[in-house]
Amino acid sequence: MLGCAEASDVEAGRRKAEVCAACHGPGGNAVIPGTPSLSGMPAFYTHWQLNMYRDGRRRDPQMTPFAEKLSDTDMADVSAYYAQQAAGPPRSSAAVDRARAEAGRPLAEQLHCTSCHGPTLMGQQAVPRLAGQDLAYLDKRLRGYQSRTTSDLDGQMTAIAQPLTEADIRALVHFMAGMTPRPAPAPGVPGAPGTSGAPGVPGAAGR
Amino acid sequence: MRRTLSIAVIASLLGAVALWIHPSVAQQPPPSWKQGQPAELANSQLAPIAQPPAPKAPGEIPVDKIKVPAGFKVSLWASGINNARAMTWGDKGTLFVSSRVAGNVYAVVDKGSTREVKTIAKGLNQPNGVAFRNGTLYVAEIHRITKMEGIEDKLDSPPPMTVVYETLPKDAPHGWKYLAFGPDGKLYFNIGAPCNICIPPDTHANISRVNADGTGFEYWAHGVRNSVGFDWHPVSKELYFTTHGRDWLGEDVPSDRFDHAPKKGLHFGFPYCHQGDIPDPQFGAGRACGEFAPPLIKTGPHVAGNGVEFYTGSMFPAEYKNRAFLAQRGSWNRTQKIGFRIMMVTLRPADVPRYEPFAEGWLQGSEVWGRPVYTRQMKDGSLLISDDYAGAIYRVTYQR
Repeated sequence: MLGCAEASDVEAGRRKAEVCAACHGPGGNAVIPGTPSLSGMPAFYTHWQLNMYRDGRRRDPQMTPFAEKLSDTDMADVSAYYAQQAAGPPRSSAAVDRARAEAGRPLAEQLHCTSCHGPTLMGQQAVPRLAGQDLAYLDKRLRGYQSRTTSDLDGQMTAIAQPLTEADIRALVHFMAGMTPRPAPAPGVPGAPGTSGAPGVPGAAGR
Repeated sequence: MRRTLSIAVIASLLGAVALWIHPSVAQQPPPSWKQGQPAELANSQLAPIAQPPAPKAPGEIPVDKIKVPAGFKVSLWASGINNARAMTWGDKGTLFVSSRVAGNVYAVVDKGSTREVKTIAKGLNQPNGVAFRNGTLYVAEIHRITKMEGIEDKLDSPPPMTVVYETLPKDAPHGWKYLAFGPDGKLYFNIGAPCNICIPPDTHANISRVNADGTGFEYWAHGVRNSVGFDWHPVSKELYFTTHGRDWLGEDVPSDRFDHAPKKGLHFGFPYCHQGDIPDPQFGAGRACGEFAPPLIKTGPHVAGNGVEFYTGSMFPAEYKNRAFLAQRGSWNRTQKIGFRIMMVTLRPADVPRYEPFAEGWLQGSEVWGRPVYTRQMKDGSLLISDDYAGAIYRVTYQR
């Protein structure tokens, strides 16, 4: 049931993603500030974002022209490929301010980030990985949700971002950017290694 | 004086610096799907089933797994319709199909042995509602109702969407709408509760109606948590609707509902009373279930009843006339999945309605391969079923 709604071909995805590496980095570990790492990103998430670039709900001068040319199969393949790539160490660790990151930890609790992004913020289903993501990118997206200028599949992030202050946003993105990507522990076994993405957590929740 | 001023200035500067550095947001409510979850279920693995980002290919859709009564047959009528939801017919035989998170509205043109699918609008705000009248397609998004005039002659270059009504809440939870013309020629739609369980604002948790020109808005039914399916009885012309019950109250409670709203102003109990006889543990105090309209049928816990359609065709056996088909998209808030089927209701004078399965098989064990959301009768009396999970439409026919 999970991630297999459309047939996808990881090897085809690897070839199709060659052009993406210029910005998103080898294996989807980005090196350009402001550009997201796609490695270890749940396939549904990457695929939905490509959908939204194609239909205009999400806009970017670089991404839009690429996405407009992609078929559903291309999107499925590329998304499946990136989902299988190991997330590298935190992208922006040099830029992470430890005091801000520490302030962000309780804030992430208060905002229930793990409810959808998973216990280690590695993302699931249509919900993205945040752990170790590029700092400038996290900052841009969170501000985008607040100003309602970035895509939001089901409205959840737009609502969550509204009460955030400048300091809140900075604390959250420093906390998330500083996290080392690691799989979520298996359900019921605290700290045990497990596979991420196992429990069903909503991307597009609803009835 | 000067010293006082300086201290005030310094204090306010310090305040500004503190605001800049220290996070200030307070504890926030959980995301709406998780809201109302009791503490002992905090580690529950239950969560809504994610919507796939693309439709399934025809070869991946096991139509033969759908079981129907003897004499009926199911075939795959159309596929490749991402997130296919509500359906309505144009005057000239075009089937208009809505979606939710895919943000699209589609036109399906029947070419005899095949169907052509065109996307006529995209990037919309969960456009779940579609209704058609006098050459015009009406589309309900979360925040507005719009129309496309003369659309059937312009499927390849659709006319602009002009606003019919937009004095609507913008909340995303339960904000998507079913849309249908009533026998009075008015447009009916739901405004769902913006939560799993809460005291909703007076503007929410209802079924409402507005004239086709956007005037005369009024509430029709109150205390309706989230109804995304309704129809009017072919004979009595009275409104019947499905409602999704709240989550996290238990595996077997509360039941979802099939309701009857023959007159304006009835209250169906949300958030005080669920399924007609269970007071809400948090909000039920001081209210009695007897104050509210009881469900006509308890349709089952967490079954997620969406589409309602009374059968008026002549293809199916005579006893099917005026029966209601209920499309149940299926549960997430239950460890044993339930729903994922089409049920049928036979209303009986002076007796309880009969409620039985019509089509099932989208759930195999605990695996879901499709989710039936709405039905729409064809001119010949066959029945279309949309599946938003597989992005497909099935056709049910009957041969004696």
